[in-house]
Amino acid sequence: MRRNQRRLYRGLLFWLALVLSYFLSHAVPPSTVAQAQSQIFVNQASAQFVGPNGPATTVSNQTQVGATQPPPGPELPLLQITKTADRAAAEPGDVAIYRLLVTNLSTQPATPLTITDQLPLGMLYVPNSVQATPQQPTQAVTTDSSLTLTFASLGPGESVSVAYGVLLTPDAVRGNGRNIAQASAPGFTPVTAAYQMTIRPGILADCGTILGRVFVDKNFDGQQQPGEAGVPNAVIFMDDGNRILTDPDGLFSLANVLPGYRVGTLDLYSLPGYTLAPNLYRIEENSASRFVRLSPGGLGRMNFAVTPTFGEEQS
Amino acid sequence: MNQRWWIGYGAIALGLPAVGWAIAPALGQSALATYSIRVTSGDDGPMQPDQGLTLREAIELANGTLTPEQLSEAEQALVQPLPAGQGSRIGFDLPVGQTTIALIDLLPEIVAPELVIDGTTQAGYDGSATYDPKFPAAPAVSLTVAEGSEVARGLTIAADGVTVRGLSLYGFRTSDRATKTTPPSDIFVSALAPPVDASPLSPALELFRLDQPDLAPRGVVIEQNWLGLPPDGEFPAVPSAFGVTVFNAVETTIRNNRIQNHDGSAIITGFRADGLQVSENAIIGNGLAGMPDAIRLEGTIAASAITDNLICANDGSGIYLFKPEGATQISGNAIQYNGRRFERAAVYLMGSDHQLSDNFIGYQPGPGVAVTAYPLSHRNQIRGNRYAELDGLAIDLNTQGNTEVQDFQKGDGPNPPRNSHHRRRETGNAAINAPQFDAYSFASGAAEVTLTGTADPGSEIDLYRVAEPGSPYSPLTEPLGTVTASLEGTFSASLALPPGTRVSAIATDPEWGTSEPAAVASVLAADGTQPDLPATPVEPPSCDPPTPPPAPVEPPPPLEPLRLEIPRNVHFALDRSNISTESAGVLDQIAAALLEYPFLTVELHGHTDPRASNAYNLALSERRSLAAREYLIRKGVPLERMRIVPFGETQRRSQGSGRVDYARDRRVEFVFTDVRGLDIIFVNQEADLQLE
Repeated sequence: MRRNQRRLYRGLLFWLALVLSYFLSHAVPPSTVAQAQSQIFVNQASAQFVGPNGPATTVSNQTQVGATQPPPGPELPLLQITKTADRAAAEPGDVAIYRLLVTNLSTQPATPLTITDQLPLGMLYVPNSVQATPQQPTQAVTTDSSLTLTFASLGPGESVSVAYGVLLTPDAVRGNGRNIAQASAPGFTPVTAAYQMTIRPGILADCGTILGRVFVDKNFDGQQQPGEAGVPNAVIFMDDGNRILTDPDGLFSLANVLPGYRVGTLDLYSLPGYTLAPNLYRIEENSASRFVRLSPGGLGRMNFAVTPTFGEEQS
Repeated sequence: MNQRWWIGYGAIALGLPAVGWAIAPALGQSALATYSIRVTSGDDGPMQPDQGLTLREAIELANGTLTPEQLSEAEQALVQPLPAGQGSRIGFDLPVGQTTIALIDLLPEIVAPELVIDGTTQAGYDGSATYDPKFPAAPAVSLTVAEGSEVARGLTIAADGVTVRGLSLYGFRTSDRATKTTPPSDIFVSALAPPVDASPLSPALELFRLDQPDLAPRGVVIEQNWLGLPPDGEFPAVPSAFGVTVFNAVETTIRNNRIQNHDGSAIITGFRADGLQVSENAIIGNGLAGMPDAIRLEGTIAASAITDNLICANDGSGIYLFKPEGATQISGNAIQYNGRRFERAAVYLMGSDHQLSDNFIGYQPGPGVAVTAYPLSHRNQIRGNRYAELDGLAIDLNTQGNTEVQDFQKGDGPNPPRNSHHRRRETGNAAINAPQFDAYSFASGAAEVTLTGTADPGSEIDLYRVAEPGSPYSPLTEPLGTVTASLEGTFSASLALPPGTRVSAIATDPEWGTSEPAAVASVLAADGTQPDLPATPVEPPSCDPPTPPPAPVEPPPPLEPLRLEIPRNVHFALDRSNISTESAGVLDQIAAALLEYPFLTVELHGHTDPRASNAYNLALSERRSLAAREYLIRKGVPLERMRIVPFGETQRRSQGSGRVDYARDRRVEFVFTDVRGLDIIFVNQEADLQLE
């Protein structure tokens, strides 16, 4: 009985705590929340332990949360750089156009302003593709994979926009597609901007294609000759679970197959009345499945010869 | 090239006897001595000079691979030389009670032209014991496989003009392998037949040629045989795989045979079957566990004809033309009760210029005639046929390039009218429009009713009476007459029809073919009412051989409801489809009831418990229904009264997941129906429940 009372008491306390906290959270006016955001919270941790000289206490450094950056004073030199491109993903052979925007946020001129961009592996700068507005670079040093532009001066509050083209070579597939542009000027802290471009293999993809046919073999050689009709709507299962249906002529093709060893088999339930035909010429093809070694980007063939069946109850 | 020759000679020198048989005709066809031979021994085995002459020795004699000098004196007395210009003849004089020839190996290929193998010469054959040429008299000599042996083919015919008459052949099949063998058959007709499989003993493959039409045997005749069933008419212990495989032969004639109980098709063509004539055969209950269609035509079939056959109770279509080259003529056949296992069209047409006329097509769980949309199939003339009890259209033209699974089995139903000339290229029979009556009903005049409607200009309209009530696309019962549509595309016909008659029509244009049937219109009385015509009782046809003509006329039993207490399900063990002893007892009761009441038909619904995949369970349930059906077949229940419907795990008996629930789920249900509206009391029996 006592125990139950205690339980009841505890439950009541818990409920009270819930209700109180609910009301408290709503009682605080929203202005205080905004105030709290601009407040600076100081946090310090301490730890106690028993050392060789008895109990000891160690104290961490102080950290601050919520401290807003002071607005850039006129005395602080500051540059801002933004980097974008005309596409998020590219394939070898594409030309991507990068765009840089450098702004002087301070009150003092950046003289001279230098912009450098190091291109990632496999990207080639397209010669003479730099276009800058509103001012033109006084000096441009370009190599295949890097770009350095020097502008005479960027006044306070001014911006300069630079666009240039980059050609993706097959090597780009091995690179990470991330490049970093940097803007710097004497007396200014250099600023950087990165842009990540997804590199797709595109024409260099190593996926292969499997094609084949299901047909009624009349001379039992495993090849389709005139007079050997294709079987429509036959089902071929691949080792990865792909299910392929033949067309009315008994043909099928499967694109984007990962290279490697691929196995396909015929679903005999899809062609009632037919079963796998014997191959009188190649013992290897007297098998329920076809095995293809698909080289990267290669073409594999899976032909299934069928013949009218009997004795279905045996299998 | 030279190397090949040497390899060839090497192969022959190694002494494969089959190569010798195959080469023989090429070397000595003109100088083949001919004999009249009497087979007196039913034994089989290698040639040896002994007392009796075996069929193997007889064929070797005719082929010229054996000379009479190699025989014993007793055997030589059975061989009489015949004058040149006459083919050899093999007769039978087997001792009484030993008329079954059990083969232990393939017989040599028949390469002797004009050879006649005549089982009717055996004493005891009574050729007059038949009432219908479709059902020849029971043969006296039967050719089968010795117990424990595997023989793929009964007779392999590779020579012109060979005749096989009056034999019973059954039991020819091969066992299961990684891939199947080349088609095993009772009779295989081909120039230089392919070896059974790719075993090292198979003959050299240079000899297997298909592309030379002059090598194909011409004019082979197969008549008055029983294929697939022994002379006593029972279901054989080992069913044959296929009946007659016309693999590569021209102008083959198959007539007056009874072809029954095959795992695959009764008649199947392979590469070349030009000029094939199939006439007056009884083709019953084939396709039980393989190619389900009774007659399957593939390859080249130019100038072939299928006439006056009874095609009954086969598991798939009656006649299925699969991408053939050339046209066939199908006339005068009774194609009924097919589609026992696959819901297919009774006749499925691919290709152009086929002619279907004067057939009876009925009792099919599918359309009567289906014409495929792909490959292009035009100018198929389907006229003068009668239809009954179909599950689909009498004539179904697949449209809009439909090539789904169902379209190659059941067709796609009524087509919309042609709305573009492109439809012609993607519809069977070039999308000829079905006729359309101007009204759903026509008031009858004083003596005649005038039916009007629209159809393709210039086409010929065959009007049909429709006897079955219900659907606007009920089967076309009987032709009423033909009118021609005007150049504006209208037609009008005046017929003397009693009020209440329902009519439909099909249009035929020689340039395109025959259309689907029109939606039914009915004839009203002069006062606008539609009286109900008295239903004429239809005697459903059966697949049975005709009985003796002076059948005693029984007074018809009064149609009183019959109370019948029979169990309606059998149970199975986990993942099994064999019939247990208890289930056999139940099946015996069902068989007895089915045999006692010939108006009962039954659907075998196979079910499984919900474990394992849907596809596996569907297959398992089909195996269970097939096992039950096979048991009933062996008990003598006619095939045409049973239908296989596998359900898999979709319709469980119970809800729970206990052992008993699962055991109850694993069953085959027997759903009885009958033509007379019987009252049947069912008993839910569980005597054969098999807990796992």
